[in-house]
Amino acid sequence: MSQFDAIVVGGGVNGLIAGTLLGRRGKNVCIIEKSDRFGGMASYSVDGGPTLAHSLYNLSPRALGDIGIGIQHPVLSSKPVSTVSLSEDGRHIVFKNDGVYWSDGTKHRESDAWSDLTRQLITYGDLLRQLAEAPPPGGQKAILSRGALNEFLRLAKLGIDLKKLGKSEMRRFLQVVLSNVHDIILDDLSEGPVAGMLAADAIWGTATGPRSPGTVFNLIYRLGHGGTITQPAGGMCALTDLMVEAAQKAGCLLMPDTEVSRILLDNDAVSGVETTDGRTIAAPNVLSSLAPKLTSRMTGPSAFDIETMRRVRNIRARGTTAKVNLRLKDSSALPSLSDELAHERLIYAPSVEYVEAAFNPAKYGQMSKAPVIEAFKMQTADGASWLSTIVQYAPSDLEGGWTETAKEQLAEIAVETLSRALPGLGDQIAGKQVITPDKIESATGAPGGHWHHAEMSLDQLLTLRPTNGMSRYSMGPKGLFQCGAATHPGGDVMGLAGRNAALAALEALP
Amino acid sequence: MSIFTDPKLGLIPGPFHKKLEEQNRAQNWYDWAGYAGPGVLDSVEFEYFALRNQASLFDISPMHKYRLTGPDTTAMLNRLVTRDVRKISVGRVGYAVWCDEEGMIIDDGTLFHLGDNDWRLCCQEQMLTWLLDAAWGFDVSVVDETHSVAGLSLQGPTSYAVLEAAGLDVSKLKPFDLAQIEHSLMISRTGFTGDLGYELWCDWDKAEALWDRIWKGGTHQGLRAIGYEAVNLARIEAGFLTAGVDFQPVHATERLHRGQTPFELGLGRLVDFNKGHFNGRRELLSKRENPRSLLLRFDVEGFKPSEGSLIYNRRKKEVGHITSGIWSPTAKRSIALAHVRMPDAGRSSGLKAEIYTLQEGKWRTRMARLTPVTKAFFAPPRARATPPART
Repeated sequence: MSQFDAIVVGGGVNGLIAGTLLGRRGKNVCIIEKSDRFGGMASYSVDGGPTLAHSLYNLSPRALGDIGIGIQHPVLSSKPVSTVSLSEDGRHIVFKNDGVYWSDGTKHRESDAWSDLTRQLITYGDLLRQLAEAPPPGGQKAILSRGALNEFLRLAKLGIDLKKLGKSEMRRFLQVVLSNVHDIILDDLSEGPVAGMLAADAIWGTATGPRSPGTVFNLIYRLGHGGTITQPAGGMCALTDLMVEAAQKAGCLLMPDTEVSRILLDNDAVSGVETTDGRTIAAPNVLSSLAPKLTSRMTGPSAFDIETMRRVRNIRARGTTAKVNLRLKDSSALPSLSDELAHERLIYAPSVEYVEAAFNPAKYGQMSKAPVIEAFKMQTADGASWLSTIVQYAPSDLEGGWTETAKEQLAEIAVETLSRALPGLGDQIAGKQVITPDKIESATGAPGGHWHHAEMSLDQLLTLRPTNGMSRYSMGPKGLFQCGAATHPGGDVMGLAGRNAALAALEALP
Repeated sequence: MSIFTDPKLGLIPGPFHKKLEEQNRAQNWYDWAGYAGPGVLDSVEFEYFALRNQASLFDISPMHKYRLTGPDTTAMLNRLVTRDVRKISVGRVGYAVWCDEEGMIIDDGTLFHLGDNDWRLCCQEQMLTWLLDAAWGFDVSVVDETHSVAGLSLQGPTSYAVLEAAGLDVSKLKPFDLAQIEHSLMISRTGFTGDLGYELWCDWDKAEALWDRIWKGGTHQGLRAIGYEAVNLARIEAGFLTAGVDFQPVHATERLHRGQTPFELGLGRLVDFNKGHFNGRRELLSKRENPRSLLLRFDVEGFKPSEGSLIYNRRKKEVGHITSGIWSPTAKRSIALAHVRMPDAGRSSGLKAEIYTLQEGKWRTRMARLTPVTKAFFAPPRARATPPART
């Protein structure tokens, strides 16, 4: 007799949501996490520094609702932040909900064009979110079953909503959705920081540049929940703590500091897991939020078809994003930045061309000498002031490896780049943390340190995510499910992958 | 990819080519995996009767051969093929098929269990990339021995005597046994003819010496070198399948749904659902009870070769076709292997083949009654006797 109905391997955002959802539907669930704290990539930090993720823009209210967290919860209801594009001449550009302004408060002449384009992309994001909030279409259900009917109705609604856009909008949507962001942005905006901001938002966390096909989709994906950026009150950890609380409330047993070494099988069905300390935990279902390759390695390649393993090991996941945390000497304002802008989202992406040029070295295993950077000034729990930055591109497969020298060089480059717009920043820095993709991989298991466990490219989306034949969250033996970022619709502290997987598992559970 | 893609190379000589060339009076060569193989050396009748009444030598070196070694080889092979290889003990050879994820046969072949975690897979199709895929995650080394191991098939009622005269003692070998007889010579009691026979395996550069030795041993045993046409007659009599003829190796098909499951080819006995997961198992579980067609053996009315004929049921609806059909010189009747679609394959009575015949410039069709046969068309007891008879 199994103690649990399901075991969730990996207590990141998706694992927590999947486990909690199952728990709330009356299942007996255990969530196993190898590190001492839950939250995975979202809340991972080194020595109490800023977490890997430092803002929310895609967290799904639907996924939250399903685990009993209201979107109005105090942790989530902090004021949206604006984006500030840093400029060398000190004339920074502020992107607000209602338009684009110079840092002195005057309206930017491209404000309307930017707003129109963004609004359009958000409309498309609304459409695509319908796809994200359900398993990909094309399940092998009986054609007259309730599930098939629901799926049909969902697709029909998408079709109708698409139609409702109107003929020219629909045509435009179909025209741009698979295209590259470089062309689409520069159709409507002139080259410069306003266009550069959209280009940067299309490439965070991916191994693509603005000229890569599919980057418009990435941008739409990012805007899928309206594009509003917030920072949870109390930091990312407050959010993941909230999820842990929800899991406990749902009756889930949380097992931190426990590493699963093997997923056990009995007669082509899951029977439980074995942990590195030799314990066996029995359950007829296992939901793994790890990348498919790790999951299959834990289960053993014998349990899967040869074609499946070939697809799994050919999933592209090349992390290109590093985290550089700069500890500041004190909480005094950043140079050249007014107080009101200091806590907004700062980016350095002066033009589309700059972003593309930053990508070039990454193609060949080099770090960008002039990277695209996103930064937040924040305080950690211990009261220390930090500039938490995301530095793109720093490929996981850096030539020569991520040695201490290479890390030091990356930190130098990041400071140097930011100093162009924030002169004198270097004098305020008391310490540096460099978390490179390989470090992210070893700490969280994400292949290549990739945000989404699998590149969000057109060949790895929807029914092809994470690979052909695996899109319905089940994988190989009966009772084995994937619920991580590698599955549809992907990562980004969104939670939908875990939610969809749990719903798929529920369908299969007796 | 084959190494023989350069058309300027033409057909290349195999390890026995010089020996075959001396005897190839018909100069009839065909392309076997890029090698020049003899279709007929002299006349198919002489060669066939040598195989069934005396002894015959046929070069099987172009077969693809892969050596699989390493601690996980048994586990890796058990995930690859549909049967349980743990039941093939060391010193034994097993016939096996392997399927893709949809349960469609990729190829069939023989597994030689040479030693602990030491196997050789012998098959018709190029399989290296697939084996490398299959070996991923297992501690197994895959080496392509196709061009380094030569094979010679010695078949026929006097084949034991030929080996004896050549100074090779195989008296203890039972069917599907193998033994390292000499340092560079492995002999297995296997073949593709349904008759008493052996397959001899040696290093590529020792091939000619082996040929000479066997040839000398066959002086008084009626030994004859033969080509593929004679072998083909014998294998149809034995009811054996040829890849690309009686089934379509699914990796070589371009059209949808041309693959076949083991159940559709009458090879259900080779599928072991209880051994753990193997490639295509989940699909085969659901496909086991619903074959789309069956491979059947038929006695064909009349004496005209029926290959390629369409098959009709009582209501004159086309329900299948004959994949291999010959006049069997030993069974003395016209025999055929055929695909027949369900449900007619389940009834398999009242079926007729539409055979086209050409007689001196005049085409005719005749509707030949088909009578289902369950056993091999020709299965002589001598093939199984141990120790084998000398004649």
